Amino acid sequence: MQKDKSQNTEQGFLQWFLKKWSTEPIFSTGIALIVMIVLQTWSLGFDYDSFGSWFFTWTNNWVNILRNNAGVGLIALGMSFVIMSAGIDLSVGSTMVAVGAALMMLIDRGPNGILINLGIEGIPAILIAILLSLVFGYFLGNLNGILITRGGIPPFVVTLATMKLYRSVTQHFMQGYNPRVPLEFLPISNFQIGSYRVMPIIYWLLIAAGLYFISKRTTFGRQIIAVGSNERSANLSGVNVKKVKRRVYAITGLLVSFAAIIQVSRIGSMDYANAGSGYEMEAIAAAVVGGTSMSGGRGTVLGTILGVLIIAVMNNLLNLLGVPPFLREAFKGLILIGAVLMQKKQKTV
Amino acid sequence: MKIEMKNIYKSFGATEAVKDVSFSVAGGEVCALIGENGAGKSTLMNILGGVLPADKGKILVDGQQVDFNRPADSLSAGIAFIHQELNLINDLPIYENMFLGRELKKKGGILDLEKMVEKTQNVFDAMEIKLDPKTMVRDLDTSYKQIVEISRAIMMDASIIIMDEPTSSLTDQEIERVFEMMGTLKRQNVGIVFISHKLNEVIEFCDRYSVLRNGELVAEGLVKDVDVDQLAKSMVGHELRTISLQIKKEKGAEVLRVEDLSYNNDFKNISFSVHKGEILGVTGLLGDGRRELFQAIFGSGQIESGSLYLNNQKVQIKNTADALQRGIGYLPRNRKENGIIKDLNVFENASIVTWPLFDHLGVIDQEKQERKFEEQVKKLRIKMRKRSDPINSLSGGNQQKIVLAKWLSANPEIFILDNPTQGVDVGAKEDIYDIILELAEEDIAVVILSSEAKEIVRICDRALVMYHGVIQGEVKDKTMNEHEIMRLATGAGMNSVQEGA
Repeated sequence: MQKDKSQNTEQGFLQWFLKKWSTEPIFSTGIALIVMIVLQTWSLGFDYDSFGSWFFTWTNNWVNILRNNAGVGLIALGMSFVIMSAGIDLSVGSTMVAVGAALMMLIDRGPNGILINLGIEGIPAILIAILLSLVFGYFLGNLNGILITRGGIPPFVVTLATMKLYRSVTQHFMQGYNPRVPLEFLPISNFQIGSYRVMPIIYWLLIAAGLYFISKRTTFGRQIIAVGSNERSANLSGVNVKKVKRRVYAITGLLVSFAAIIQVSRIGSMDYANAGSGYEMEAIAAAVVGGTSMSGGRGTVLGTILGVLIIAVMNNLLNLLGVPPFLREAFKGLILIGAVLMQKKQKTV
Repeated sequence: MKIEMKNIYKSFGATEAVKDVSFSVAGGEVCALIGENGAGKSTLMNILGGVLPADKGKILVDGQQVDFNRPADSLSAGIAFIHQELNLINDLPIYENMFLGRELKKKGGILDLEKMVEKTQNVFDAMEIKLDPKTMVRDLDTSYKQIVEISRAIMMDASIIIMDEPTSSLTDQEIERVFEMMGTLKRQNVGIVFISHKLNEVIEFCDRYSVLRNGELVAEGLVKDVDVDQLAKSMVGHELRTISLQIKKEKGAEVLRVEDLSYNNDFKNISFSVHKGEILGVTGLLGDGRRELFQAIFGSGQIESGSLYLNNQKVQIKNTADALQRGIGYLPRNRKENGIIKDLNVFENASIVTWPLFDHLGVIDQEKQERKFEEQVKKLRIKMRKRSDPINSLSGGNQQKIVLAKWLSANPEIFILDNPTQGVDVGAKEDIYDIILELAEEDIAVVILSSEAKEIVRICDRALVMYHGVIQGEVKDKTMNEHEIMRLATGAGMNSVQEGA
């Protein structure tokens, strides 16, 4: 049917593109992200004459986007693991507040600071505080996991309850108590490389790389998919389903504490009533846009990173285009529905 | 009514699923459509049911050419397709299921429950079925669910019913019940297409047969002119073994011993032992508790009292991961629900069991897994294209071999197989028997749970027959025959054994 060769290869490319587009969520999500980045670049006023200043603005803008989203990005990675295992974790925002509060009580350099009263100061205090915060986050996540597996309570209910519990208890204990974060703690997030504050981005990407490895190459990582896809088959294949599920929530708790550490070291304080609220929905949205199936069994680390970026870039784009603030959430909603419709089509192909 | 399919072709990509097949069925006759998995039976029937369009060929209803573009078209022509996976909602009563999507309503949109119950009852009366329309579908066994589906088709005035392997998940007793129902249908001049692997059922019950092999019609005719061997031969294209496969040999050391194991009403005071290199059969009718018993041994945690010994060591098996580490393998029944994981590819499905056995600090040993996988593919003669293909791209028999492969890679000491040949065609069945015999020769203790007495007699060294949660008796050597098994399975006592239930 094709007359000459060039038409043939052109068609070949189009077919290849359409096939990829319609079968691989990562591919279509990636293309969507690229389109947005092009739009964003364009709206930043790209032109050849003032390339230097444009490039500076562009880079600065990107560093800002990534840094602002590193926390949610980390949480979204945990969330995508939870969703892949056919669960859900609504407590992430509250866990972040609880861990943040614990961290600040530990490193407080005021009269009530826990470590300072034990005579531990400076770098050792910071290291101990970080370690204990991670343990605490892991513990809170693990508690979710235990209630879900041993208690046999649906994940939605357990984490809805702990969402209330963790935040409310934190708020109660932190009433009228304003810990002062020592200055040595702030470089954790604010250390500059060149003129950029990129530390949160580095943490995010390093942890993501670790999680990528876990999800693809370890027994635990592959068992998550197995459990989420078919719990009965997984159990009858000798997978310790309860252990896998519990660990998924525990790891999410751990990732949330990293987010809390970044948050506290970035601004040196935390608003216990509002910090992290809505993060669970942001994280779910990012995971879903990135191709994670809400019924479990499907999802990737790379997809979730793309999901986080798409939502972040879109926020930025709407900002640059001057879309009224109240309308921005609407776009997020639309993108969510669009992404899921796309994936639904891909599944039936 | 008479349906004719003439010179039907259908291909998927490069594979020709159906090549120039003609098939017909008329009211009042039962026509068997047989063939191995992947022979094209389902494709052909999906074309008749309006699920798939044919590439070429025509369909005639009473001599009139028709076009079936969707299932509704063929349904309104009076053809009902009862799929293998039943299409009922467990949480609704029978009568609501009967009217699903076509509920009867009073004025104002309120459901007319009384009328639905009454109409359902009328259908049941006409079909001579003793069932209360108000029973929840959840409480029915599979055979009654099938009967409800058939009644629904009858209520919708179906005059041809296609049944896709209706007996594959039924016990012998349930099969009888479905056959009774089919007999009634036949007397009422309904035509039935009976898709099956079970040739003895075809011989016993059908009038005509058509055999498909690799998408082509290779034989057809009247059932009274053939026997099981001839049918089997045309299905697979070569002779089949029918002799018993048991090998006589000395018993090895005891591997598993169970003493006085009980759980609720599922099983009571169970004691037995299995030895190295032995093939032990466990059989019984529905509700015999054999599956619950062996799942408990495999770590389901549902044990109330009694003890388990592995190699003469008393053990407690906490969960399935624990059982795996202790060298127990378990091939579950119902591959789709319990055996395969659809979001993992072929290779991953075949290695899931051995991930924790071969990993280093939690990191999967990819190389070793691949080596094991290649071994199994060769040994089990698994037909597949790429190992990264989705598991659902394999035929049923090959999927079952993958499930088998994942356990074989783990080298279990005891291997429990629950209905290992369910939904598997004749050729693959023989392959699986061969594998089981090889396992026993490698000194693995093999336990086979099966509801097919014939299968037990053919491959097992001895067999326990269960009845309502107790071991009713043991058969071996001279007593190892279908008659004796059936006698025990229906609750008749053995001379030396006290009846427990």
